[in-house]
Amino acid sequence: MNVDIQYYKEQLASKEDMLVRTASYLLEAQTKLELKNKELSEIHEEIFDSIRFARLIQTSFLPNTDVLKVFLKDASFFVKQQIGIGGDLVFSKNTGHGLVFGLLDSTGHGIPASMLSIAGSLFIQEITSTMQIDSPAALAKLLNYQLYSTFNKTELSLAHMEGSVFYYCSRTGKLKYSSAKGKAIYLPLNGAITELPASKDPVGQSPESVFDEVEIPFVSGDKLLIYSDGLVDQFGGPSDKKYNRKRLLDLVEQNRHSSVAELKEIIEFEHNQWKGDNTQTDDVSFLIIEL
Amino acid sequence: MKIVETGGIPMELILKTDYASLYFESNLKLAVCVADEEYIPIDSFKSLFLAVSDLLEVKEIKHFVFDKRQLRTFHQPSMEWYFAIWKTSVREKGLVDHYKILPPLDWFVKAVDAGKWEIFKKYGSDIVNGISINYVDSIDEVVLKLKG
Repeated sequence: MNVDIQYYKEQLASKEDMLVRTASYLLEAQTKLELKNKELSEIHEEIFDSIRFARLIQTSFLPNTDVLKVFLKDASFFVKQQIGIGGDLVFSKNTGHGLVFGLLDSTGHGIPASMLSIAGSLFIQEITSTMQIDSPAALAKLLNYQLYSTFNKTELSLAHMEGSVFYYCSRTGKLKYSSAKGKAIYLPLNGAITELPASKDPVGQSPESVFDEVEIPFVSGDKLLIYSDGLVDQFGGPSDKKYNRKRLLDLVEQNRHSSVAELKEIIEFEHNQWKGDNTQTDDVSFLIIEL
Repeated sequence: MKIVETGGIPMELILKTDYASLYFESNLKLAVCVADEEYIPIDSFKSLFLAVSDLLEVKEIKHFVFDKRQLRTFHQPSMEWYFAIWKTSVREKGLVDHYKILPPLDWFVKAVDAGKWEIFKKYGSDIVNGISINYVDSIDEVVLKLKG
């Protein structure tokens, strides 16, 4: 009996000792975790400060819609990069005799895509400033050369861009485009809306790439929607599926006679509704113009 | 000596105390210490593990399993003796693999972590060098592994 009592007393004392030691261990582990958490929060804050600043820099490359409206009846665009910065690029350049404009989507997301997007923007500025550009296919070809020779000549980095380049000539009143896997929908004032055909080569991947040039006959009041694949690739909706081209075409068809500003609001609202609480799948951008 | 079934193969009972049993299997050169109670007083703990040391010399044990599934109290001084003194001595006598089976209780596992953390702070983590320590779920798992 005495032996039993001694055994249980000793066991109880050991249990108490075990609890004290375990509590001390867990307390130290918790303190270490809190310290690590604080360090991670600081690093997180630093990264987001950098991204906020980088976002300001990248945003400054976006075109001024007032300049677009000098040549076009109306224009508006929307850019929402996946992490604040990204690879979608909306551009325009007054060439003196007309307007070069378009939308390009760089490979990847985030920081590398934003660097490529800024490089693309600078190359377009350089090409259109040093040469008399009145051909979108020529601009696509020159941009292709610049991107390829800069990023892919010695080591294939997969850095390239997809999108469409347009040129509106104010002297002739003609609109031409060249598409490098770009996505665009034409909304005539009368008649069926159509998706503009696209070349199969992106810009910057190969020196052999070919870019077709197509003239778009238009009447005043026709509209054009140019967009990046992030708009139709967004996951969401009731079954967590991609938004897809068909839904966009239906939406545009239903709202084809809305003003440019209204159409922009409608597409942006629809995108946000579809996305819901999901993360943004890709960089998203679109440009709407009225001719 | 009594023969009992442990780990799916007959094993020889070498030592039985009020708190634990020690078994041996000659073909596999395996010794198994099974805790039979919730708590093993340090004197009994030491006598069991010193018996393992003796077996190492006479039976050339290479593998050792400590089945703690019945334990509900982690005794720090016993564990410190086990790490700092016993393990060093058996390593020198040729014990290669050391297997442990813990009770399936999170709080006990945390108590073991706390105990080891204190021992490593006191002696340095080198204290476990030279001997392979593996956590397993059953004696069968070790037997199957050794049978290859």
